[in-house]
Amino acid sequence: MIDSFLQQLAWLQNPVVVARQLLAGVSNGMLLFLICAGLSLIFGVLRIINFAHGALFMLGALIAVSLTALAPGASASFVAALIGATAGLAVLGAALETGLLRRIYRAPHEFQLLLTFALVFVLGDVAKLIWGREDHSVSVPAALDGSMRALGLTFPNYRLFLIVVGVAVAVGLWIVLHRTRWGIFVRAATMDRDMLSALGVNTRRLFTSVFAAGAALAGLGGALAAPIVAVGPGLHVQVIIDAFVVVVIGGMGSVLGALVASLLVGIVNAFGVLAFPGLAVVLTFAVMAIVLIVRPWGLFGAPE
Amino acid sequence: MSGTARWPLAGAIALLALPLALSDFWLFIAIEVLAFALYAVSFNVLLGYGGMLSFGHAAFFGVGGYAAALLMKKTGLSAGAAFALVPLAAMVASAALAAVTGFFSVRRSGIYFAMLTFAFQMLLYTVALKATGLTGGDDGMTGLRPPGVLAKPLAYYYFALALVAPALYVLYRLVNSPFGYTLRALRANARRVQYIGVDVRAHQLAAFIITGAFAGLAGGLFALSNGNVFPGWLNWTASATPIVMAVLGGVHTFLGPALGAAVYVVLEVLISGKTEYWPLAMGIIILILVLLMPEGLTGLAKRRAA
Repeated sequence: MIDSFLQQLAWLQNPVVVARQLLAGVSNGMLLFLICAGLSLIFGVLRIINFAHGALFMLGALIAVSLTALAPGASASFVAALIGATAGLAVLGAALETGLLRRIYRAPHEFQLLLTFALVFVLGDVAKLIWGREDHSVSVPAALDGSMRALGLTFPNYRLFLIVVGVAVAVGLWIVLHRTRWGIFVRAATMDRDMLSALGVNTRRLFTSVFAAGAALAGLGGALAAPIVAVGPGLHVQVIIDAFVVVVIGGMGSVLGALVASLLVGIVNAFGVLAFPGLAVVLTFAVMAIVLIVRPWGLFGAPE
Repeated sequence: MSGTARWPLAGAIALLALPLALSDFWLFIAIEVLAFALYAVSFNVLLGYGGMLSFGHAAFFGVGGYAAALLMKKTGLSAGAAFALVPLAAMVASAALAAVTGFFSVRRSGIYFAMLTFAFQMLLYTVALKATGLTGGDDGMTGLRPPGVLAKPLAYYYFALALVAPALYVLYRLVNSPFGYTLRALRANARRVQYIGVDVRAHQLAAFIITGAFAGLAGGLFALSNGNVFPGWLNWTASATPIVMAVLGGVHTFLGPALGAAVYVVLEVLISGKTEYWPLAMGIIILILVLLMPEGLTGLAKRRAA
């Protein structure tokens, strides 16, 4: 039993495999972070679990499909896709918040749950109506194609690019949250939004902007993921489950928690697939349940 | 005869006579409605009476279904014996599961309670998906058939009714017992109930186990009429179904969720027969429900009457 398990782990001695899985894990973790940062911010400020966040991510990827199709493989069309997906989802996010979410902040939990749940189905089917039911693929832009060699190992350039973007977004978010007026409001709202409102801050506008920002991050994540995933109607389902696990483990409302837990889940998934084929998913939910039992506010969240 | 006894009698006669008016297809749908009515009412005992929002109640419905399927397919019992054990096995399996997951879940309240129940459900989903030898994995377990005459929809309808009606009666007595009133008090203000010396967690756990058992019974009944069990029964999208049914019918009445279940099931049959965009239609229905009629169908009826 133990012998066969150790045999399964023989790849651990192979630095090429370890480096490849680590790179895949970290870059997937960075993509996950883009989704989870928004999901976490939205929960922290609006106190709503946005089940539709995976659908927003998928819409970002689908917008990238359409925009890159204008000039496949060209770097300019890829940049246009990144900008288009981010801006498009920001607008959609603002519209959803002002049109729907705003009405149910004072309603019981089950209504909030059902509302974002309904959006999953509505957005999912609208995406099918516009982009069809088949999977699309997006080619890696010419400038980021190929791979680089270092230390005798090969690293795909696009994976490295994802890590760079992830780090840039994490740093940028930290600066925005800690060095701007908006960031201070967001952090204050996470702690006590009634107090913030009592101090004269326009929380209505703050809520709209936070939801729009979260949606924009999901859209950016979707566009960045488009070249390495099959972009189709099933994309959002697995994404939202992973994101949910990450946000619970990291702590709802904590961007740092989202970063750490995203990398953790990304890396655990990448290695778990090799070490415990088939069981990696079971493990993630077991970890999630344990965190909820022992420390329900997550590793980096603040207790209620 | 007193006025309060007239309605249940009329309802019983209507349910007994219903098959006379239905084709085999709609009889099959009526069985589905019975199972989901029990499922939704049991769920709402938690939500509407106890104020506990379980986002993982599908775990019990699904485990009831799998318990029925495993009993019929894997134990080697004769079809008749296995079938006779299905209701009991489905309830025991779900109650046992609810005892374990409830033990941990009731330690938290509100949205954290919802997420814990959700995490346990997803854990079970992945187990059902990966334990291919036992559950058939993604393909599920198919070809389930009640033995003998019960394979006919008409007979199975009465069989299901003979289980669902007493089960609903037990739940009805439960919510109107001192235990039920304690649950209602917990929904209103758990802390105050605790201060007068009530063991809050024990009451919540008991409610969780009882409602889990009845959801399991519903799942077992539906599995045998449907003929299949799939891991999708345990997936995250399934956990919203009882919430939609309960809110659609109205969470502040005992039988409202049963009405919600009937409307939901019939709408699904009618709409998914016409278009492949049933999820879109359901999403729009939920949005209308949440934004425009938060008291559900029974709430609308009361407002009309008032």
